Amino acid sequence: MTHEELSLRSIVKTFEFPTIGQDATALEAVDKMLEKGCYSLLVPRRDRSDAYGIVTKKDIVTKVVAEGLDPAKVTIKEIMSKPLVILTNLSLELRWVAKAMADSGVSTIVVFDKGDFYGFVTEKCILEGMYNAMRRARLEQGVEFVSC
Amino acid sequence: MELRDIINSGKPVRISPDATVGDALVSMMENKTDYLLVDRKTPNDAYGILTRWDIVSGPVAHGEDLTAVSVLDCARKPLVVLNNLSLDERRVARKMDAENASKIAVFDKEDFVGFVSDIDILKAISKAAKGGAR
Repeated sequence: MTHEELSLRSIVKTFEFPTIGQDATALEAVDKMLEKGCYSLLVPRRDRSDAYGIVTKKDIVTKVVAEGLDPAKVTIKEIMSKPLVILTNLSLELRWVAKAMADSGVSTIVVFDKGDFYGFVTEKCILEGMYNAMRRARLEQGVEFVSC
Repeated sequence: MELRDIINSGKPVRISPDATVGDALVSMMENKTDYLLVDRKTPNDAYGILTRWDIVSGPVAHGEDLTAVSVLDCARKPLVVLNNLSLDERRVARKMDAENASKIAVFDKEDFVGFVSDIDILKAISKAAKGGAR
């Protein structure tokens, strides 16, 4: 199977991860998510000894809407997940990235390279990576790619 | 806001229960969707749903060959269903939390109306805040 040669490096998204301040409200986070089409936001740390946090659409649905709270009054600090689930080995095989996600029950993993913020992977990145690998393999075999 | 206002009535993309996960992946990517409705085989069967998360946490995480695994082995079946169209958005969010699902099928009596996803809830609260403030 072709996905054996796929590594974390080939699927990680290195463009800027949208961020949101700790003191912003949940409503601001929702607006930002919808505007960017990106359903997880990074919460920057205050100083070097602090940890990064993350807030996702699931945090908002389960911790704000389900509890009947007013999204304009709840702050990010109360609902974010902290610290992040991180991976540092860029040559990790794709299946272990998926396993790390499944085991920790998160949909976004942040990737650090030598202590610096490098990028992030979501379950969508993994599937896109596998899809592209599958298509490449079929093209190499000279088989016309037929969709179903 | 009520469930009928936030529901996404677009037609979901379907997949046969006998297809492989590889086919499902192709169909998901080509239709740019993040879930597929798994058809039932007989009228007594239940519908199922296959999401990105099911593929990633099942066959991909276990290192299985996607073209050898059948959709039925990793789809969620039966669906999480709601049939009260005037339900408050808060109860919908509660249901998602309780069932650990991100998409809920909505039926009006016997008829399938559509799916409501966590993104639809976010859109609803954003809209409610804008409409309520001014």
